[in-house]
Amino acid sequence: MSNIVVVTNNEVVHEKFSSSYCVEYHADATLLETMEHARDKIHRGHKLLTHPLSGSVKPNDTPYKTIVISAEKGRIDFNGLKFIEESIASTIKFLDGRRTPIWTDKVKADFKLIDYTIISTAIHSMDGKYIG
Amino acid sequence: MLLELGKIKITDVQPGDATKVENGTLYVNTEELINLALEDDRIKSVKIEFARPGESVRIAPVKDVIEPRVKVSGSGAMFPGMINKVKTVGSGRTHALVGANVITCGKIVGFQEGIIDMSGPTAKYTPFSETYNVCVVIEPAEGLETHDYEQAARLAGLKIGAKVGEAGKEVEPDEVVVYETKPIAEQTAQYPDLPKVGYIHMLQSQGLLHDTFYYGVDAKQMVPTFMYPTEIMDGAITSGNCVAPCDKVTTFHHLNNPVIEDLYKRHGKDLNFIGVILTNENVFLADKERSSDMVGKFVEFLGLDGVIITEEGYGNPDTDLMMNCKKSTDAGAKVVLITDEFPGRDGKSQSLADAVKEADTLVSCGNGNVIVEFPPMDKIIGTLDYVETMIGGYEGSLRPDGSIEAEIQIIIASTIANGYNTLSARMY
Repeated sequence: MSNIVVVTNNEVVHEKFSSSYCVEYHADATLLETMEHARDKIHRGHKLLTHPLSGSVKPNDTPYKTIVISAEKGRIDFNGLKFIEESIASTIKFLDGRRTPIWTDKVKADFKLIDYTIISTAIHSMDGKYIG
Repeated sequence: MLLELGKIKITDVQPGDATKVENGTLYVNTEELINLALEDDRIKSVKIEFARPGESVRIAPVKDVIEPRVKVSGSGAMFPGMINKVKTVGSGRTHALVGANVITCGKIVGFQEGIIDMSGPTAKYTPFSETYNVCVVIEPAEGLETHDYEQAARLAGLKIGAKVGEAGKEVEPDEVVVYETKPIAEQTAQYPDLPKVGYIHMLQSQGLLHDTFYYGVDAKQMVPTFMYPTEIMDGAITSGNCVAPCDKVTTFHHLNNPVIEDLYKRHGKDLNFIGVILTNENVFLADKERSSDMVGKFVEFLGLDGVIITEEGYGNPDTDLMMNCKKSTDAGAKVVLITDEFPGRDGKSQSLADAVKEADTLVSCGNGNVIVEFPPMDKIIGTLDYVETMIGGYEGSLRPDGSIEAEIQIIIASTIANGYNTLSARMY
């Protein structure tokens, strides 16, 4: 799938996807900042392809987020903008209630694996389908 | 399709030489069950422990809960496509050991799975504090990948659930309930004056630890389909979901889906229960559009006057929920949503991550962010090592004396979004 950009702060996604897909890796970004990076791209005309609140792990638990957007730019995807703004608002709500804990490396590795698996199985299942 | 469900009431569980039911007591040959689980070489060791209502016992972390059942007559066997041949189930006769459960526990990842307290103030938030539980504590082989371990633990639970269920095959049930749904033309003709009602059952389907299976098919790979409601009672749907303990739908909850149970109670009285539309909760927005389009198409094709929709999980499933709500409304049905809420600890924030104007009738199953206190327990089945990294736990949650302060979402099924719980919220 060459027509996508993968926006992520998950180094596992960066390592495994970079040879196959265009990956925009924000190594030091928080989950919220990663969502904001993706949101800014939607404002520039990219289309949102995956739901920003992918996974049922709450956004104040996992530190990692991967969002897939279109490589092509066109007219603003207002529907996608709505999804990502609502997801950002939801994330801020969770973070206001409790900050993301400082996890051990083992737990971080599990969160990275879950985030990577969710996106990789989703991309795999969309292969050959119209994704716009 | 007609199913007779024989309910054998279990009032105690004890170890025994053979796995059998006598006078309401379930006797379990633990060695037999351990050997069954160890047939899978991905599992290094298994321990069986019992937990009874009222005991000072805490079970954690919990993966799945399975009510023991057995097919007595009719086609197929329990959990088709998973541990038995693919064959349509849901007709004939099935026996259930009601009041007994098999609970798989053990660490899969360093976060997630939740808690069951068998007594004390937090016991009331989970239905499994009231059942006689055969707990299967699983240790994986060294170096096993998470995917493999999740699958091994899932299948071990189903195999043990079915094995224990066999103990009920020859036992006379305390109660037999008959459920019947006819093909659409006959079903419509049977109660022509009653509103036709369907149930849209959304299955968690996002990836590792977020999966559900229908006759063995990974739900993310299916398109929405029609299911006779009785199929679910024979294990057509099994859980692979280990995420967000409070609202994960365990295999027990699929077998005992309260929406299906209540719709049958009113079937032929004030509504005509037509059947179940199964759909998924995928990650790509294009999948969400496709699946919800097809749900809307089913609602129109079946001529449903009303639908109830349940979801599993928080966040992106809220978008599927709203798309299904809108498209079912557009197809001519009145829609009621059932879900839990995450509106913050004070309950003042937005409850769901998405909303449409058609979503004007919703039954709440409670607020997952509420803080509760867990007193220490005499016995732990599994381990408390991971409490602070479970969802709902946090740094400082686990105190040296074994007591815990955590969000209610750490408790298995406390806010389950199909209503098999006691919490709710009312708006006046």
